[in-house]
Amino acid sequence: MEIAKIAGKNGRENGVLINVKDLVKIYPTAANGVEALKGINLEVHEGEFLAIFGKSGAGKSTLINMITGIDSPDSGEVQIGGASIHSMSDDELTRWRGRNLGVVYQFFQLLPTLTLVENITLAMDFCDTYPLAKRSERALQLLDQVGIREHAHKVPSKISGGQQQRVAIARALANDPDVIVADEPTGNLDSQTADDIYDLFSDLISLGKTLVIVTHDQEIAERASRILEISDGRIISSRSNDAPSNDRSAHEATLSLNCVSPRIQAAL
Amino acid sequence: MHIPTRWIKILKDIWSNRSRSLLVIFSIAIGVASVGMITNAGILVQRDLYGSFAEGNPASLEIYVSPFQRDLTSAVDAMREVEDVQARRVERASVLNAEGDWDDLTLNAFPDLTDLKVNRVDLVEGRMSLGVREIAIERQSAEGLGLAVGDTITVKMEGDRAYDLDIVGIVHDLYGMPYALLGEVTGYVNLESLKWMGKPSYYNKLDVVVAENKYKQAHVLEIGNSIRDRVIEPSGYRVGSMGIPGLGSDPGKHWAEDQIDGFLLILQIMGVMAVLLSGGLVVNTVSAILVQQIRQIGIMRSIGAVRGQLIAMYFFNVLAYSVLGLAVALPLGLLGSWWLAEFAAGFVNFDLTTVNISWQVLTLQITLGLLMPLGVAIYPILSGTRMSVYDAIYQYGIGSEGSGWLDRALMKVRNLAPPIVLSLRNTFRNKARLVFTLLTLTLAGAMFIAVFSTRASLTVQIENVARYVTFDAALGLPYGSRKQTVEREALRIHEISAAEGWAQSIGVIVREDGSESGELEIVGLPYDSVTIDPLMIKGRWLEASDTSRIVVNDDLLDEESGIGIGSEITLKIGNRERTYQVVGVTSKHLSGSRIYMEYGSFGQLTNRPNQVDTIRVRGNLETIGSNAEQDVIAFQLENRFDNASLSKSSSITRHAIFGDFTDVFDLILVVLMIMAGLLALVGGLGLTGTLGINVLERTREIGVLRAVGASNVSVRQVIVFEGVVVGLISWVLGALLSGPSGRALAGAVVNAVMQADLIYTYSFTGLLLWLVVIGLIAVFSSLAPARSAVRLTVREVLDYE
Amino acid sequence: MKTFWNKSGSNGSGAVKYKANGHLIAFNQVSKIYETSAGSFTALRDVDLRIDKGEFVSIVGKSGSGKTTLINMLTGIDRPSDGEIYVTGAAVHELDEGEIAVWRGKNVGVVFQFFQLLPTLSVLENVRLPMDFGGVFDRQERDDRAMHLLELVGIEDQADALPAKLSGGQQQRAAIARALANDPPIIATDEPTGNLDSHSSTKIIRLFEDLVSRGKTILMVTHDDELAGRAMRTIRLADGKVVL
Repeated sequence: MEIAKIAGKNGRENGVLINVKDLVKIYPTAANGVEALKGINLEVHEGEFLAIFGKSGAGKSTLINMITGIDSPDSGEVQIGGASIHSMSDDELTRWRGRNLGVVYQFFQLLPTLTLVENITLAMDFCDTYPLAKRSERALQLLDQVGIREHAHKVPSKISGGQQQRVAIARALANDPDVIVADEPTGNLDSQTADDIYDLFSDLISLGKTLVIVTHDQEIAERASRILEISDGRIISSRSNDAPSNDRSAHEATLSLNCVSPRIQAAL
Repeated sequence: MHIPTRWIKILKDIWSNRSRSLLVIFSIAIGVASVGMITNAGILVQRDLYGSFAEGNPASLEIYVSPFQRDLTSAVDAMREVEDVQARRVERASVLNAEGDWDDLTLNAFPDLTDLKVNRVDLVEGRMSLGVREIAIERQSAEGLGLAVGDTITVKMEGDRAYDLDIVGIVHDLYGMPYALLGEVTGYVNLESLKWMGKPSYYNKLDVVVAENKYKQAHVLEIGNSIRDRVIEPSGYRVGSMGIPGLGSDPGKHWAEDQIDGFLLILQIMGVMAVLLSGGLVVNTVSAILVQQIRQIGIMRSIGAVRGQLIAMYFFNVLAYSVLGLAVALPLGLLGSWWLAEFAAGFVNFDLTTVNISWQVLTLQITLGLLMPLGVAIYPILSGTRMSVYDAIYQYGIGSEGSGWLDRALMKVRNLAPPIVLSLRNTFRNKARLVFTLLTLTLAGAMFIAVFSTRASLTVQIENVARYVTFDAALGLPYGSRKQTVEREALRIHEISAAEGWAQSIGVIVREDGSESGELEIVGLPYDSVTIDPLMIKGRWLEASDTSRIVVNDDLLDEESGIGIGSEITLKIGNRERTYQVVGVTSKHLSGSRIYMEYGSFGQLTNRPNQVDTIRVRGNLETIGSNAEQDVIAFQLENRFDNASLSKSSSITRHAIFGDFTDVFDLILVVLMIMAGLLALVGGLGLTGTLGINVLERTREIGVLRAVGASNVSVRQVIVFEGVVVGLISWVLGALLSGPSGRALAGAVVNAVMQADLIYTYSFTGLLLWLVVIGLIAVFSSLAPARSAVRLTVREVLDYE
Repeated sequence: MKTFWNKSGSNGSGAVKYKANGHLIAFNQVSKIYETSAGSFTALRDVDLRIDKGEFVSIVGKSGSGKTTLINMLTGIDRPSDGEIYVTGAAVHELDEGEIAVWRGKNVGVVFQFFQLLPTLSVLENVRLPMDFGGVFDRQERDDRAMHLLELVGIEDQADALPAKLSGGQQQRAAIARALANDPPIIATDEPTGNLDSHSSTKIIRLFEDLVSRGKTILMVTHDDELAGRAMRTIRLADGKVVL
């Protein structure tokens, strides 16, 4: 893990963490291939909060799946931290993703039979990132960080959707990755809960994480520091958002109160 | 304690899906336990039956001799080829039972029961040193008659005189035919008691253990011949018969060894089938788990699980099932082997010393229990973990269409209602799973029909044998009687319309080179006998003019080469020889080698004209009487002969002969039916599992059916129809396989029980019955999956977009 | 073509008609609360709604605003926690799952975002399937009618192909033909163009407009204001309440 990270850091140019070049994806159908992505070029800087915005079918989910390596492009390249992720073998990519990328899904996707703590330690277990004896402790701290420590030993079906998404975010943080990627993370939540989740995302940015989210909701997109609009497989606009509509004063920064940076923890 | 979370996940999965986990655990356990049970029982029987059989110094040869004294015994014992010899007197008698009826009794008289050199008996209770008017009873007989030490029994000898004897001992004799099998009581007295009961204190039987090669039949018979030629006959005694003890088994072997081994082999095959089926069930369940967890697998991969870790997880899952299955199987197998060995022990009258499980069996069970599930799970685990994260998370839930030739063929199926087309095409979508399910059901079906075919074959086989005993009752005449007298006496009974005296003797064939064949039975009977209906396989039956012509049975053709229709053979009884021409060959009928000839020519050969040894009677010439009618005729026959003071042994009825047979067969068939039922059950569970996975895999499609207006009934129909299609295909395959499998099973059973060649009869009843059973299995197996399909609401199904 | 369209599947009792006040669709104080062990979540709050025959209504709102829940109430895919729903004369909130499926098959055609054609059935068989379940049309008519519907949506040449051979836009057309199979008065659809490119989307919306002109009532959930603008009427939801 350390080697990958060091290699990644050395490969970064001008603070560019994610570099997408000429990405093309065609979904084959018997009738005619559907071009989901028609040559995407994109750079994401360290510490950026990028929103990829577009209508259904615009290709934004396809793009994010290329960045997480869940789906592979027909041509073009994705480099994250200097690593060309689509040139890796399946297992290499899986291991790399587990350690360097946290993924948050619209439907939370927690494992139903495991408790919340176990859902988080599982990620550490697969990647073998923290000593066995330390994992539960770290998972509890992460749950604390997302504000649901009191439910730590419940199974996912016993908590609400918003709480499940918090656990999913804590799980994404389990191996202390540099990048968090989220596909419609609040698509299934009511507006109040969604607000809470975005507050949590803002906290992550302040901790130095890079965040990429996908949404079809303009309002949500406005909360990011940069908004990329995509339509019919092309980027049609990219603009910085100097004043993210994130009213930090409206809520207490949970992070600053009760969280020790995972990096510091890792060093402990 | 810190356990890596991924193992915790598997343990929690097992726990959270308890009924499915139990199903797999038990299916592994059943397979492993049945193999353990059968193998271990085999070892127990081997050790305790064959072991204690050998300890009592079993006779390799028994020779019935005209009454003799101790000097002959010493002379035989002095022969170099003879290791041990024991003389005894065997007397047929009757004993009064609690119901007031007379049971057959075999009395064995020895000078001293405690000092037997051959076929030793063991004391169970009381004492074995017998005085005058004292008797020891074989333990199974004692148990059967409810007798104990201290009781007094009434024994009736030849000539109807009754004697009271005190039971002083219960003994265990492993060498006689058990009471449980023949219903004949075995008792032991000393020679003085025999004298008291009016019998001479001479011996009439020699039990011989040969010195070398005692397990070789030919060698043992050869020594028997030389005992006869060099010692017995020169001493002026006559040999009545000579042979290997038991039911055609090899010398020195327990009389039921072949049957027990054969039966164990059949069970062993069934055990292997059970293992195969439980393997199928494991495959099914593991596939179900992986199908159900596809999305979870996708998630785990997306948070960093490499494929090796996932494979290890699911193997760990299977391993956990195996270990739990073994935990159930090991004690179950031990208990089962105990039960099976105990059953065998009760049946053939031996004792189990200790019940333990041998390390070979343990190793076999553990290897099987661990490797079988892991082995069969390889395919589903490897293919289930191969799916990409993308497919697992985004594509799953709506199946894909197949693209093989079969699917293209099914695409051509038109003009059927789409719901039926849907079921039909769904059936063939997952071919590997279909193959597994079909395999299980086909196997179950083939076995099921095979069991019925075995039954049908046995029935035909018994019917064929029954043709040779078309009488209502028969009476043995131990010292022979005048033909006309006994026939006239029998015909005086109002109910009897036909009575035939038959004469029997033991003889040999003198071959052209002067050597002699083994002993065979020669029967003299009326050529137009109504108490036999021979099945001729070659030539013809006897005619009035056949004074020097004979009919032989197929057994003889097996024993003696070069005999056929038209052959001239020379028969020898005692010192008399005559030559006959063979005109017909009858089928085998459990008699051993036998020759039939016209009664008159038989008298010339034996020089006993007008003498008969058996009287066979019929009440009605058209049909055989009912069991009750047979009993009445037998009773009257006995009374009539008693009143006429004609010597006789107890009567036998036709149903009594076949009753014993069918009892043994029924027992085997019951065991086989239970096995077939288990196979059907496991097959049904497999089908349930398969349809269950199909429903899981296509939840979204079921949601769509709902969305376009499918009622509960329609949704159920789609699933049940699919189950029925699978059931019918398996029926066709099972029907094809049932021919050879039935032949194999029936052959094995007939060989084990009757030691006879199979007359195979395919059971169409079984075929049709299985159609009904598989139909029911298909419907019932699909009900649970159909119910869960109906329970799916459209919202749940379409929720995860 | 005329008779073909006007075979109505709806028939209700007078009492029910009274409650619906003559509207094709009536929601009376409908609420939907999802109970989780963590607490309850209110997806719809006292929704009142009247829709008449021949309307083309779009339902808009953000994610989580309850628009999908609303349309699921209408189709009977999900049931209300409180309130009454009358559609084509039937008291939908009183039917059980099996009865709803049968009622829906005849009265509401559902068009999904992901088409949801059955992969093992040909396009024609997919369209015929609801007729076999619904039993509205005679057995002999069914294939002809399915073919007519495919002509209507313009993919008659693909009748014998499997769905996987079709493009997304064609699959959605097939799905619309399927929704029309039993000639239901109402078509309900959730993000019908969500998975299509803009060109195919436009064609699908034109098809809907054509159906409305033939007397169908269409309810369409979308988060796309542009698409919503093509409907006659827009219902906007926010946190489970109708705001417009």
